[in-house]
Amino acid sequence: MFSDTVVQKESTLLGPPGPAEPVFERETLSYTSCCDRFQLGERSFNRQYAHIYAARLIQMRGVLEQRAQKMWGGPIPIRKLGDLKIGEQCVIVGTVFKHMELQPSILREISEEHNLLPQPPRAKYISQSDELILEDELQRIRLEGSIDTAMFVTGTVIAVKGAERNDGKFTVEDFCLSDLPEQPPRQRLESNRFVLLASGFSLGGTSADSMLGLQLLVDMVTGHLGDQGEQSSMASISRILLAGNLLSRNTQNKDSNKAKYLTKKTQAGSVEAVRLLDELLVQLVASVPVDVMPGQYDPTNYTLPQQPLHRCMFPLSNPYPTLQLVTNPYQACVDGVRFLGTSGQNICDIVKYSSMDDHLEVLERTLRQRHLAPTAPDTLGCYPFYQSDPFIVDVCPHVYFSGNAPCYQSKRITGPEGQDVLLVTIPEFSSTQTACLINLRTLECEQIRFSSFSTEDNEETEMNGNGLCCL
Amino acid sequence: MPAKRGLITDTFKVVKRARTRDQKPPSPPESEPEIPVISERERDLQELKTFDLDWHFGPCIGISRLQRWERAALHGLDPPREIKELLQSNEDDPEYTQCLWRDYPL
Repeated sequence: MFSDTVVQKESTLLGPPGPAEPVFERETLSYTSCCDRFQLGERSFNRQYAHIYAARLIQMRGVLEQRAQKMWGGPIPIRKLGDLKIGEQCVIVGTVFKHMELQPSILREISEEHNLLPQPPRAKYISQSDELILEDELQRIRLEGSIDTAMFVTGTVIAVKGAERNDGKFTVEDFCLSDLPEQPPRQRLESNRFVLLASGFSLGGTSADSMLGLQLLVDMVTGHLGDQGEQSSMASISRILLAGNLLSRNTQNKDSNKAKYLTKKTQAGSVEAVRLLDELLVQLVASVPVDVMPGQYDPTNYTLPQQPLHRCMFPLSNPYPTLQLVTNPYQACVDGVRFLGTSGQNICDIVKYSSMDDHLEVLERTLRQRHLAPTAPDTLGCYPFYQSDPFIVDVCPHVYFSGNAPCYQSKRITGPEGQDVLLVTIPEFSSTQTACLINLRTLECEQIRFSSFSTEDNEETEMNGNGLCCL
Repeated sequence: MPAKRGLITDTFKVVKRARTRDQKPPSPPESEPEIPVISERERDLQELKTFDLDWHFGPCIGISRLQRWERAALHGLDPPREIKELLQSNEDDPEYTQCLWRDYPL
């Protein structure tokens, strides 16, 4: 636990200042950013999305065929949809397409014969009448049987075992996901080193409730809080990762209906918010390396992969080399520990189009399907890649996270070949005032909450004088 | 109305046409069989068209043939090397480098 690392020296707070100020060195860790696959060079949108689906299927087919062989044995043949025989038990591999009645369709909206008003946004778009269809390179077939339609989303590549019926539907007996990929071994570290994960600062919003919590976070990490024991333990936090939504939703200018003369002299809400963010960041980068990921409401492109925020927006923090502006699906190797994660748009999209509500469960499922964002071109904006699908997870991370979740959750999962992954859903700071600390040596995660008025009794630790509650 | 107890063939005799099934009309004089001359360019274009329409390598619209070849090579689909040589030797000709449906917009 992080609080255990606080070396209990005698209290140095309520005493006269000593002759020499102790300096606590922060260890610099080896860091390699692997975000190159998410960087877009020249962007050409003159392409259809068929290429990304074809690349996805080509890349995943081999893996799924191997898993299917291992799971269901040799004698059951693996067939392409074009070679199916009625009644023969076989295995087929393809991309799932879920046909949903309630899915917003632009064609239905503009079709005049239906006279429909645009559909209001709903929390979930699933219904009882949804159907699953499996598509391979040339054909598609409807799936029925022992497969839970509500759990799947469009774009997942799976293998199913069953037989084709007379009416052209495929009866499923069992299905198999591609499961976790290979994981490179992790070196053992000697000392405790921590990485702090936080997301959802929502700066520039209408309520400034989280500003105190944010300032407490910054002061704590830079060693301005607590006595010397606590400051020395803060020195073991070697990196900070901000996972998106640094700006609030309110900064997005949605008033496109307003007349030009009314909006001419008004500044966009995001200008002030970015200035606030820059002031916050300059305090952090002066002391610790920070990775800043963009999120759904941040000033960068909308489609995944989101490109890093531009350095010109941070004039104060720009001179520091510790400021790393990174892409939205983020991948890096910090001291031998592989991190992979997103700002949460992919998880929220899957929650909207499936029956799962728990962000951690969805996170685990995306890792077991080896794909960060299966709904990507369908309901989540995506760049039209043609050569390969960069969202396929081909190397298993040690830490897999997603930002802007409604609450903090973490779990350790194991894979079939002994892979060991820590799953973390980082909560939104503006509503929960909570950040996460990951210990790189033991791969354990804990939350740290900065609330000024805590509802529970402060029986946890002794750091309560500042209104800081450490769990 | 037929004559009383007579067949129509009593009045009108049956005349059979001369059997001409075995006799064929005289055939025209045989000339040398003509081999359609396909230029090398057309042969190349035909090969590239087959490469475009091969479903193993994925969709072809929207990307150049060389990009599609490289994608196929990247994923281990083993595309024929002659196609790449053809494309690299004719880099300036859009009929070679762009796919079959290059004239049609997105």
